Amino acid sequence: MQKETEFLELMERAETQRSARRSFIRLCGGAAAMTGGLSLLAACDDDDDNDNVLPNPTPTPTPAATLDVDVLNFALQLEYLEANYYSYATTNAGIASGLQGGVGTQGAVATGSGAGQARAVTFTDQIVAQYAREIAADEVAHVTFLRTALGSAASAQPAINLSGSASVTINGTATVGAFTAAARAAGIDLTATGGVFDPYANDENFLIGSYLLTDVGVSAYRGSARLITNKTFIEAAAGILSTEAYHDGVIRSELWRRGLTTPSIYTRIQQISDSRDGLDGPADTDQGIGTAAAANIVPTDGNGLVLGRTAQQVLNVVYGTRTQVTQGGFFPAGVNGSIRTSGAN
Amino acid sequence: MTPSTEIKEAFDRRAERRSERREFFRTAMSFGVAAAGGVAALGMSGQAMAQAAPSDTDILNLALNLEYLEAQFYSYAANGTPLPENILGGTQTRGQVTGGRKAALTDPGIIQYAREIAEDERNHVIALRAALGSVAVAQPALDISPQVFTAAATASGVDLTPFGGVFDPYANDNAFLLGAYVFEDVGVTAYKGAAPLLASADILDAAAGILAAEAFHAGIIRAALYRRGVDAPVLRTVARNISDGRDTLDGTAAAAGPPMRVADDDQGIDPTGSGNTLAANIAPTDANGLAFSRSSEQVHNIVYLTRTQTTQGGFFPAGTNNPNPALRRSGAN
Repeated sequence: MQKETEFLELMERAETQRSARRSFIRLCGGAAAMTGGLSLLAACDDDDDNDNVLPNPTPTPTPAATLDVDVLNFALQLEYLEANYYSYATTNAGIASGLQGGVGTQGAVATGSGAGQARAVTFTDQIVAQYAREIAADEVAHVTFLRTALGSAASAQPAINLSGSASVTINGTATVGAFTAAARAAGIDLTATGGVFDPYANDENFLIGSYLLTDVGVSAYRGSARLITNKTFIEAAAGILSTEAYHDGVIRSELWRRGLTTPSIYTRIQQISDSRDGLDGPADTDQGIGTAAAANIVPTDGNGLVLGRTAQQVLNVVYGTRTQVTQGGFFPAGVNGSIRTSGAN
Repeated sequence: MTPSTEIKEAFDRRAERRSERREFFRTAMSFGVAAAGGVAALGMSGQAMAQAAPSDTDILNLALNLEYLEAQFYSYAANGTPLPENILGGTQTRGQVTGGRKAALTDPGIIQYAREIAEDERNHVIALRAALGSVAVAQPALDISPQVFTAAATASGVDLTPFGGVFDPYANDNAFLLGAYVFEDVGVTAYKGAAPLLASADILDAAAGILAAEAFHAGIIRAALYRRGVDAPVLRTVARNISDGRDTLDGTAAAAGPPMRVADDDQGIDPTGSGNTLAANIAPTDANGLAFSRSSEQVHNIVYLTRTQTTQGGFFPAGTNNPNPALRRSGAN
């Protein structure tokens, strides 16, 4: 029953959005549909609430509708994280400063120091290096694209904990590097590396760090697609979802291949998956990569559909908590934008 | 009709359907497939839309045709057997599969990939059929024989000399990967092109799940070809040829969309850059990092293996099944 209630509530919210949207589309829809300019959309957004072109068929006040701008800004926050990770891993630097400003509190990337410091990976396998460079370029392109589409409504890069270090100081407070925190929470045995998980140490760790982030990105786009109403942005989001899934197919199949000679990879990946699944509530939102005898490269349900997460569930994972909070883990000061609170699980 | 009118009307139609849809969900929730409710509700009230844009059920039936093709190919390649009979019937003409057989795979990884993808594709067939219910189309005639793959390769200018003049996707690991490569990217572009045409958020949600699965598959296949291409450069060459061939088949028409169309909507796996900037090309994307879209006609150009406007050919010798004729034909390119 709870599932049904949640679902019907979701439908109600969608309906509320739709009625608000209908009036705004009358004013702005032609232009927005023709040009695909989200900045136009954003400019029109403020009109929504006061505009009485159409009577509102849903007079009961309901929680604020999640508008396309909010969903795309949420996606942008995740792209900042991914783009910075792959940029550091391939170029020893984060994304360009010109790509960081915007609405909300702009933050810096905390790299940490010593073991686990965010830095360029010295790749042994050049094929993995070539994958990493491609993914880095795609993720930076996603940041650029979303910022352009959102225009003046684009949210700023938040503070990001990109470190695997045992201790990293952020805004005067000492905390654990987010990658190490995630690995410890998953129960991964880190005794051989002094209690630290360093995703920049070698090919294998880089792939595991990628698994930590890219799997979540896929599930986020998958779960949010239905909330977007503008057709141009649905298509664009589908394009990003596809790209993230291509990346994840590469990373998961590469990890699986390496597991044939290093079987502990299967165990560690399953631990991370179980940990994420525990953070975001009872729904099955996560799968490992299987075993040597039975690969599971594509995380799908019984219908062959890739698993999705709500925005709140995504925040549980990236904040590293099952409680309802607004910051933590990879985002020590929270994400920017109106979607910023994790779920209470 | 202006785009803005179209969008408004689409929203109005959705609002009208709201009450009956909500009622439907109350009874359908135990089934758990939200898409099923959306499609059925659409079927009940969707007749008035028939002449306009393709309905959600038309689009899902288009997808079902492609899933029949992919699922049968992988089912034969991985298991040596076709899909079970009880998931092949439906409206319009039921056809047979010819030319498939178990692939002679030896690499444990490729064997696993084939098995997993076969399972996903079979589940897509089942899920789409469940969502469409009584309006699901039957499996059309499918030709997945080496002759058709050879025709596809030849049309793409592939030099088949290293393969003994025949492109037999069941012959070995490499040939199987190239055969899979022929389909997978097309599936991604087809779902992406269809996404903005869907009216129901529930169906869009399910389609996003299938789209992502297809992109995973394509990523796996392309990465395997890329890695093997280090020792067997011919694999990257053939992938490039096939990509160029698809680009030729589906024309150069461009449109702002949605769905957006660009002239060059296909890419091989050749790396870019050099030295410290050498990068793979597993994900075929535009400058914005977005995957490409294809229209229904463009998808048909590729699976029919033709640049002309027709209703059958290639992998579908009797054409695809669809109540909407516009979703059975290829484009004139």
